[in-house]
Amino acid sequence: MIRQRIETYARLTLCIIAGVIYLMPLFWMVSTSLKPLDQIFQKPPVLFPSSPQLESYKSVLGLPSKEPALYINTFVYFKNSLLIASWTTLLALTLAIPAAYALSRFKFRGQTAFLLFLLVSQMLPSVLLVIPLFVLFRILGLYSTYSSVILADTALALPFAIIILRTSFLQIPDALEEAGWIDGGSRLQVLWYIILPLVRAGLVAAGVLSFLTAWGEFVFALSFLPKPEMQPVSLGIFQFIGMYKSNFDTMMAFSTLVAIPAVVALMFLQREFVSGLTTGSVK
Amino acid sequence: MNSLSAKNPFLKTQMSFSGEKLAPYLFILPSMLFLGAILGFPILYSVVISFQKYNLETLISKNAQFVGFQNYVAVLSNPTFAVALTHSLIFTFFSILFQFTIGLGLAILLSKPFPLSNVMRGILLSGWQIPSVVTGTIFLWLFNLDYGLVNFLLTSMRIVNQPIAWFFQSNTAMVAVIIANIWLGIPFNVILLSAGIVGLPEDVYEAATVDGANGWQKFVYITVPLLRSTVGAVLMLGFIYTLRVFDIIWVMTKGGPGIGTEVLPTLAYRLSFINFNFGQSAAISVFMMVILLGAAVLYLKFTLSEEEL
Repeated sequence: MIRQRIETYARLTLCIIAGVIYLMPLFWMVSTSLKPLDQIFQKPPVLFPSSPQLESYKSVLGLPSKEPALYINTFVYFKNSLLIASWTTLLALTLAIPAAYALSRFKFRGQTAFLLFLLVSQMLPSVLLVIPLFVLFRILGLYSTYSSVILADTALALPFAIIILRTSFLQIPDALEEAGWIDGGSRLQVLWYIILPLVRAGLVAAGVLSFLTAWGEFVFALSFLPKPEMQPVSLGIFQFIGMYKSNFDTMMAFSTLVAIPAVVALMFLQREFVSGLTTGSVK
Repeated sequence: MNSLSAKNPFLKTQMSFSGEKLAPYLFILPSMLFLGAILGFPILYSVVISFQKYNLETLISKNAQFVGFQNYVAVLSNPTFAVALTHSLIFTFFSILFQFTIGLGLAILLSKPFPLSNVMRGILLSGWQIPSVVTGTIFLWLFNLDYGLVNFLLTSMRIVNQPIAWFFQSNTAMVAVIIANIWLGIPFNVILLSAGIVGLPEDVYEAATVDGANGWQKFVYITVPLLRSTVGAVLMLGFIYTLRVFDIIWVMTKGGPGIGTEVLPTLAYRLSFINFNFGQSAAISVFMMVILLGAAVLYLKFTLSEEEL
């Protein structure tokens, strides 16, 4: 009994130490973003800002702020990311729902091959895709359009979305669907009115992951979107560190705002994300 | 309208027989076409480009000339390629070594429930989906010469006398990008290794306890052998995902100072989008693709030998 208790506390202690070290970069990001300028350059560094201020956030969001005005309009980056990520989510889910449905409800030749294809396509490095896609998009006249990034981001998000949704579909008993057919529904009607409402959690997880993929994507945007007014937040930060090397509070405020959707999503959807990743790779 | 076919089950089976066989293909068709166009085609196309003289001029004239293996020869005889390849191997090796070891330690810690274990798991995964550009920016600040937290800790603990100018020398710049990448990869390793550990049969451990095995013996003689396929899969996936890392390096160092942290992906990118030598860049892509394909095959062997998808 006592041994077990000691073990439990040892685990907890080690985990807390590991957690503190692991969280340090994120903590430092938020802490820096809240510091007044003099505390950023203070030695020894201040862990918790004594008088937290939101000036850097106001500056990033283009609100009136005590900080010197930025030359780049950071707000536009958020608008662009929202647009790109929303379209990517919509497109990825539209394509993923029927594919995941087929993988969970039918036995067909080539099923395993299709799953393998999905697994392997997740492994393709976007930096290798970007070169031929650049040439292709130029030929198709899609270079420097939102569509180019949306299409490429969807290709990154789709395999994982299908795998997550397939897992959710597999949990719905066949009997439920058959009952729908007996009542006279067609396959598509039953899918739409009976199955989809039941896999809401899976849809949300797949949707959010697709959204986050596009939200943080860097290489495609870097290569296909030369116009600053069309670029997403990932490029915004990249431009920012090039232009304002020592505005650490604003830089970290910008980073925090970009990171928030990812951290919040993980808090609420941890289980779904994890199950998608493990069915997709190890199990 | 539908009640008609429902009242006549014979009619329904008759009509839907061939339809039912085709249905799954119709459902996966949109995804297949999409992935084929945006992933499959580019891969094949980059093989084609790698045999062409493809530069800014040809990009506009759309009239590329075939040059055989010229791009491959040029790339292989370029000393930067050897440097980038070495850096890639160093970057990948040390990233995986630490990601995996730390990930395994944390997965073992989290393998038994304890108070707050779910909260701890959440905390240790919190960085998983954060865009790598953000991670790169945070570490750029942490490794800042004058005001960075890392230099402060190192000097105040008297590990170094002088603050280190991390991004001014290739060795230290490499250490910085590797550390950032380790942080980035820990959640991924924890998740996959946890899944493997949870799947281990409980009764084997109980039998070992009855036979008087201690914790270390159980780890060496039970956990390690049973986890072998999981470990193999995680290492292969880690290799695939680390060899292709681009964002974090591009944000932190752009491959510099000089070519101090140049890896294969940054070299390929530089050749295409800065030197506009798409042919040579594609040759590097194909080279990487072959390596990654080999790793993918090994990975599938590890996962598929045990159980079906």
